Amino acid sequence: MALKNPKARASAVVHDRAAVAALKSRFAVQNFYLVVFFFALLLLTPLVPGFKGWMAGQASLVIVYIIAAQGVSILSGYTGLVSVGHGGFLAIGAYAAALLTKYFAVDLVLAVVTGAVAAGFVGMLMGLIFLRLAGPFMAIGTLGFAFFVGTVVNNVPIFEGREGISLPANRIFGVVIGDIGFYYASVVFLALVTLFIFSLVRSSVGRALKALRDSEKAAQSCGVNRLSYRTLAFTVSATITGAAGALNGLVVHYVSAEVYSDIWYSVDILVAAVVGGSAMLMGPIVGGAFVALLPFFLETFADFSFILKGVVLIAVLMFAPAGICDVVARPIRAYRRRRLERAGAAPGESAATPRRPFGLADQQGDA
Amino acid sequence: MLGQQIISGLATGSLYALTAIAVVVVFRNTRTINVAQGDFSMIAAFIAVLLLKSGANYYVTIAATVLFTVALGILVERLVMRPIADSDWLTLFTATLGVYYIMHGVAGWIWGRDTKAFPVTFDPTPIHFFGVIVSEGHLINMAWAASIGVVLFLFFRFTKQGIAMRAVTDDPETATLMGIPVRFIVLLTWGMAGFLGAFAGILIAPILYVSPQMMDEVLIKGYVAAVFGGLYSIPGAIIGALMIGVAENLAGGYLGSHYKTATAFVMIVALLALRPKGLLGIQNRREI
Repeated sequence: MALKNPKARASAVVHDRAAVAALKSRFAVQNFYLVVFFFALLLLTPLVPGFKGWMAGQASLVIVYIIAAQGVSILSGYTGLVSVGHGGFLAIGAYAAALLTKYFAVDLVLAVVTGAVAAGFVGMLMGLIFLRLAGPFMAIGTLGFAFFVGTVVNNVPIFEGREGISLPANRIFGVVIGDIGFYYASVVFLALVTLFIFSLVRSSVGRALKALRDSEKAAQSCGVNRLSYRTLAFTVSATITGAAGALNGLVVHYVSAEVYSDIWYSVDILVAAVVGGSAMLMGPIVGGAFVALLPFFLETFADFSFILKGVVLIAVLMFAPAGICDVVARPIRAYRRRRLERAGAAPGESAATPRRPFGLADQQGDA
Repeated sequence: MLGQQIISGLATGSLYALTAIAVVVVFRNTRTINVAQGDFSMIAAFIAVLLLKSGANYYVTIAATVLFTVALGILVERLVMRPIADSDWLTLFTATLGVYYIMHGVAGWIWGRDTKAFPVTFDPTPIHFFGVIVSEGHLINMAWAASIGVVLFLFFRFTKQGIAMRAVTDDPETATLMGIPVRFIVLLTWGMAGFLGAFAGILIAPILYVSPQMMDEVLIKGYVAAVFGGLYSIPGAIIGALMIGVAENLAGGYLGSHYKTATAFVMIVALLALRPKGLLGIQNRREI
């Protein structure tokens, strides 16, 4: 469908701005329905006959994973940064929520918000240190951070190390909720985070971040403050991952260093964002589900799930660098672009997501 | 006591240096932060266990293991890294993560997740060494690391391939124009990563024992050490590795063993906050 001569084609088509605008809004509505359909599916799942409480627990764990991957995707997808240390923020969120729930018996919502804020605050401090560094140094620094958090939760007495902290039943506004109630709560959190990312990416902040990702120098020359916007992105990303961590601890009523001192947790979240496609709204959802469900289905073959994860990751990087979601979305996007052009839009007007996993241009400064 | 702590710290640090050098060499020639570096060592340790248990001589084992991991490094380059060699550093980094997963899974599948003892044990016999008491095992490790360092120095200084490798590091485009086979040099770089990985694995196995996750901590310390050299300078990385070895040994000895593992992070934060360009600031030469 390559246009040999776009100018000739454009002049042949009558420009009809109203038709293009109508088509664009129709596509937007279609996207919206798709998202609504997805969340309706999630909300209706527990009503399927034969759905048991433990299934709701497992499903909540998957959703928690997705939220964590969404946190990472703000950095890796829209900001062009990488953090290999988000497991650290997951742990901070989980422990903040767990300690609060254990000693003060607070509400689920308050515990999650506190976990998120705690992780966001530490994220801001870490961002101030790491964001001054060139990419590879930042990756190593954040990995070191996850390692440090792992050591702290293993050794500082209040975190109770490998013994772990057992938590009471979850309450929302004083009402005890079971596994299915928790599942609904986590779906609501997922919807909120998705909505937040959707608006963030389309706000002026999101545009500034994407401009910094695509060309740091050009963005800076337009007055975008690199350090403050990136610190903001890092903080937001840590906050979301912290909320995921808080939910992760509360869903199993148990938090232990055995789980949170494993630095490769961080790597798993990053892989989830990359495999799904981190520069797309659905990317972390697909990727997070993939990484979280793989060990569940291959429980007896844990090593095989490792191998499969590695093979899929490398295959995605080689053949679909913008993620699995992009492979699905590409034909739809091409079809829509054709429709728009037929209605008279200029060729290539609808912005496509970048073809690279992190949306990085191959520029000297980033290489 | 202090001297003893420092010497055994240096011995541990010299083992970290092997990993750190490999990280630096691969990064500066291919822009890849190699997450699979620790797994070369881990696989090497497992192969060595296999050979030693079947009654092979220690030196024969080392030679065979080194050959195997060099081949493994070359295989990784050919199958995984070369098809995406032109991508940005994040893609390359993530691809080595995939290699990490695969090697972890394969090792766990074949040999299991449990920690195994290494047939050659660490020799704790005390030896008086310049008025300090040191374990013989530490001295042996330091001797191995030092001789590998000498071999690397001679390689980079006097062989055609070594000089070509440095040329590729400095400027890949010019090196190509000068007729240096850059692809072959990159292959050689990964072979060297396998070579260093094998020694790191075999020498560290008596101390840490053998399991799929044995190298995870060492790898991170190797990274931190590599950052000390700005991910560019081999001497900087060696100094960094020795400093980490000594610092964590002192922290373990005087503050308590909990603090041992956190030392590396504290050092990297201090370094990056004070000298973001690395200890020696050498990588200013090239934009990273």
